[in-house]
Amino acid sequence: MDSIQTKRNTEEKKRFRHWVRGALFRSLLVIVFVMIAVFFLIRLVPGDPAVMVLGEHASEASLEALRERLGLNLSLPEQFVMFVKNVFLKADTGASIKYGVSSRSLVFKYAPVTLLLVLMATLITVAVSLVLAVLAATHRDQLFDHIIRVIPAFTQGMPVFWTGLLFILLFAVHLHWFPVGGLDKGMLRGLTLPAITVAFGQIPPLVRSLRERLLEVLEADFVVTLKAAGVPSRTILFKHVLRNAFVPSLMLFSVNLSYLIGGTLVVEQVFAVRGVGKLLFEAISNRDFPLVQAIALYCAVFVVVISLVTELIAHKADPRMNK
Amino acid sequence: MRAKKYWLIPAAALVLGLAGCGADTPETEDEVRFVYARKASVTSFDLHNEITENNAFAIDQVFEPLVMFDEDGVVTDYLADSTISEDGLVYTFVLHDGLKFSNGQDVTAEDVKYSLERHLEVGGPLPIEADIQSIEAVDDRTVVITLNAAYTPFYSELANFSNGIVPKDLNGLSEEEFFAHPVGTGPFMVEEWDPSGDVTFVKNPYYWQEGKPVIDHLVFRYIEDDNQLINQLKAGDVDAADEISFANAKSIADSEDTYVIASEGWEIEELFFNTLDEHFSDVHVRRALALAINREEMMQALTFGYGVTARSVLPSALRYYAGDEIEVLDYDLDRAAEEMKLSAYPDGFQTTISIASGNYVRSQEAQIVVEAGKKIGIDITINAQEIAAFRQDFKNLNYDMMINSAIADYPDANSIFAFQVDPNGFSQCYWTNYKSEEAVALMDLGRTTPDGDERHAVYSSLQQILADDVPYIPFYYPERVHGVRANVAGLVYRPNGSPVFTSVTFK
Amino acid sequence: MNGKKMKPALKTGLCLMGLIVLLAVLGPLVYGYDPYAQDLTAVLLPPSGVHPFGTDQLGRDILARVLYAGRVDLSLMVLAEIAPFTIGVFLGMAAGWFGGKVDWVITLLIDTFIAFPYYLLVIVVAFVTGAGIRGIFITFMLVGWLLYARVAKGMTASLRSQEWVDAARLQGFSDLRIIVREILPNVLPQAVVVLMTDMTGLLVMIVMLGYLGIGISAPTPDWGTMIAEGQTMMTSAWWISVIPGIAVVLTGIALSFIGDGLADLWREDGF
Repeated sequence: MDSIQTKRNTEEKKRFRHWVRGALFRSLLVIVFVMIAVFFLIRLVPGDPAVMVLGEHASEASLEALRERLGLNLSLPEQFVMFVKNVFLKADTGASIKYGVSSRSLVFKYAPVTLLLVLMATLITVAVSLVLAVLAATHRDQLFDHIIRVIPAFTQGMPVFWTGLLFILLFAVHLHWFPVGGLDKGMLRGLTLPAITVAFGQIPPLVRSLRERLLEVLEADFVVTLKAAGVPSRTILFKHVLRNAFVPSLMLFSVNLSYLIGGTLVVEQVFAVRGVGKLLFEAISNRDFPLVQAIALYCAVFVVVISLVTELIAHKADPRMNK
Repeated sequence: MRAKKYWLIPAAALVLGLAGCGADTPETEDEVRFVYARKASVTSFDLHNEITENNAFAIDQVFEPLVMFDEDGVVTDYLADSTISEDGLVYTFVLHDGLKFSNGQDVTAEDVKYSLERHLEVGGPLPIEADIQSIEAVDDRTVVITLNAAYTPFYSELANFSNGIVPKDLNGLSEEEFFAHPVGTGPFMVEEWDPSGDVTFVKNPYYWQEGKPVIDHLVFRYIEDDNQLINQLKAGDVDAADEISFANAKSIADSEDTYVIASEGWEIEELFFNTLDEHFSDVHVRRALALAINREEMMQALTFGYGVTARSVLPSALRYYAGDEIEVLDYDLDRAAEEMKLSAYPDGFQTTISIASGNYVRSQEAQIVVEAGKKIGIDITINAQEIAAFRQDFKNLNYDMMINSAIADYPDANSIFAFQVDPNGFSQCYWTNYKSEEAVALMDLGRTTPDGDERHAVYSSLQQILADDVPYIPFYYPERVHGVRANVAGLVYRPNGSPVFTSVTFK
Repeated sequence: MNGKKMKPALKTGLCLMGLIVLLAVLGPLVYGYDPYAQDLTAVLLPPSGVHPFGTDQLGRDILARVLYAGRVDLSLMVLAEIAPFTIGVFLGMAAGWFGGKVDWVITLLIDTFIAFPYYLLVIVVAFVTGAGIRGIFITFMLVGWLLYARVAKGMTASLRSQEWVDAARLQGFSDLRIIVREILPNVLPQAVVVLMTDMTGLLVMIVMLGYLGIGISAPTPDWGTMIAEGQTMMTSAWWISVIPGIAVVLTGIALSFIGDGLADLWREDGF
């Protein structure tokens, strides 16, 4: 009996290790692909980085000198090899052309703002969505359910900058609950309204899919059996149904994080909050190749890590779902 | 389920940790802090290598030139007393007594000599155009500048921010080190600077103007979004805002909490023709389009009245403006049709107008030009390009026509003409490739003619030639509208839009 | 029971959409104003009898522009979805059906696109192509297919594992025949439901591009650009931005109802 147990354990461990190895390999490939894509894509944009730094009045000689210093006079393949080499051997993404300092330090400087914004927005989104979805699913086809299902139709067509502006006018200019924008009154306070704005657009589709998922579980055989066995419905909901809805909502959480990390530009702009989105936009406008590459790379790493972690948790929570 | 809790711990730690980062450094209460919102960040303080406003107006707080212009654009002695020789060749400057840099060190004639020479050597986007023979430091406080040829605009030109005074040899520091913590004679010093964000200035304790500046700290807050700017001003999060949009000016002016300062400026909204283009090399086509555009209506609609309809390439706020004397191609569709008939394209043609994307006003102007073109058979498509690509294209004369703006850098007519008339100059007649020997001769003459009626006559003739040849169509001179909180007094603006904070107080 | 209740949703959605399309197609013909005609002496007029929805900063009639913009946006919405829809469904089904290496490669591609910052792609494409419709087509072709691919993949994979597929193969049906006859009809409804939501997403993206100054180029009337241009005047001339905003929201409602209705209808019908 003991030996069978051990055997099963080793086999599971083996399989798990195999899975981890595969997942890591995939993640690495994704990162390499992103590096290739960003490197060539940003160089498609017309405009010379040297001119962006030295200005339109610079002499050809000084432009040439700068290009040489930045390595922009090398051929594309040479530049690419340098980029990849520096990233993998020295973990260095190069100095920002525009600001002169290392691109990594710039990313790390603005990342906390965006990360906190994304995290707050996601927490609000998931929490509110779960509550609404449970309410809708348990009050199926009653008024409450209908209201929750109709709201998304209205909010879906509302652009973020509109909702943001509305929130600013209402909560900041009129009610003075939050600052109009910026972070100088504290990061948490400054980011609350932007986070709510982001969440506002994310909640409706999430509620919809969570509700579907919950309904599926509620109709599942085991729940019906439990009900028949006289288990109180509250216990069923919290102990069994929500547990089953956990993995899918975790997945949504992860996808949401990944989607948002590169997508906060408009919110940052509307609320005058300086984060990675804004930094990216300026970097592209300045043709600051190393900075654009660094941002893309770190975003990709973030997304990949988040999805790895979620898959790992999902794997642990429900070993069946990974082969 | 248990996994969820584990995951929450780092998340909570992150939230708390990050929240801690945002805490503000407390400030002593009696220190007065003035927050000024601007739409672009300050990326450099190197006065000899800069031209754009985002940097120029910050450089103005830190460095000062020998002479300066006031709110009315009148140039006067500033850091030194000047005498100019009869023949206009020798300029003598005697520095004011006790003048100090913001680090307490005396300003000497050697510093002035070094500053101007560095500028001559660097060249830069706002070079010294006068033909300088020598710059001599005669004694500690006296500098003598000798020109090879008389050059009337020189005195005004010295008022350029790019002629500000820096310590000799940058105090032995490298350019990078010095301009990271610049030292000048201006009212403020850089306290904290994020090239992609805000700048905080602290007042210069050695400032030469008695009792100024009144405020202790000045913050340039970078706010790009227009609504955000207006709302922060309304909520009192900022004390004043640079350049609010015309559309919002009324609500700021009408509010009890805020007021606007509108200043007539040295700026021109302008349409430029590529005179190498097959269609626009034809002067009749250019004249026809100028006649087809109702500039008065355009100005009213786009500036809400905060502007002056252009009648010359020279802004009306500058001396020698001759818009009221010369004959201008004012809106007249019949005459426009006649001009088209005289041209090589009486049946019209297709062309494009280039603008920088994301600029709302330019887009509106372009749409008005499109409608005007329709009326005389010119079918125009708007080509909105990303700004860097737009610049690259027009500098290579790779465009048909474009809309852009021009601004006088210093209060002399030559500032505009040098940029827009000289085909051999850096800007090739603002990249129109317009070549008129007559105009160039007048431009040159204007540089050597002393101020007075004679110079006026020269510049009037020049403006008439430009009005007839139409290498560009000046639309209007927009005013600059600034929003200020009601409790703020003493904020003034120079006509190039540069704010002066030395007398700012809170009521 | 659920399906019956939601059928009114489908009906409402279709009616609303029909009305919007009708307005866009016939509106400009019936309504007298030219959406391009400027009157610089009648700018920013509030809604009145002469201009029911007011005028913009160039004195153009907002109603005429909103109606005409409907043509531009609705056709763009449909046309720009064709490529991502086709590519997504095709790749998704391929991944789901063949599994193994094909699945591995396609999933890798999807993951790469997810890991790539969204705005980086959008801005770079707009900068390269210049503001305008071409940029929107290319951008959406690049990012739009992901969603369809995931849905199609999941659906195909679950159908693939069912017994009847093996049975059909044993009977000698070719893979292609099974895919076209059996899989596609099951995948398409799902994809169409996604399409309804995604079209709203596309509209909102066009609005965003307008906000960033890289949307549809002037003077072509378009809801997105109108909203973006009017947003600085929200407090002084609300109608410029709010009226086209309502058009977008209404279109979103119609599409959402249709999507919901279809989903319920098809769920009831079979699977």
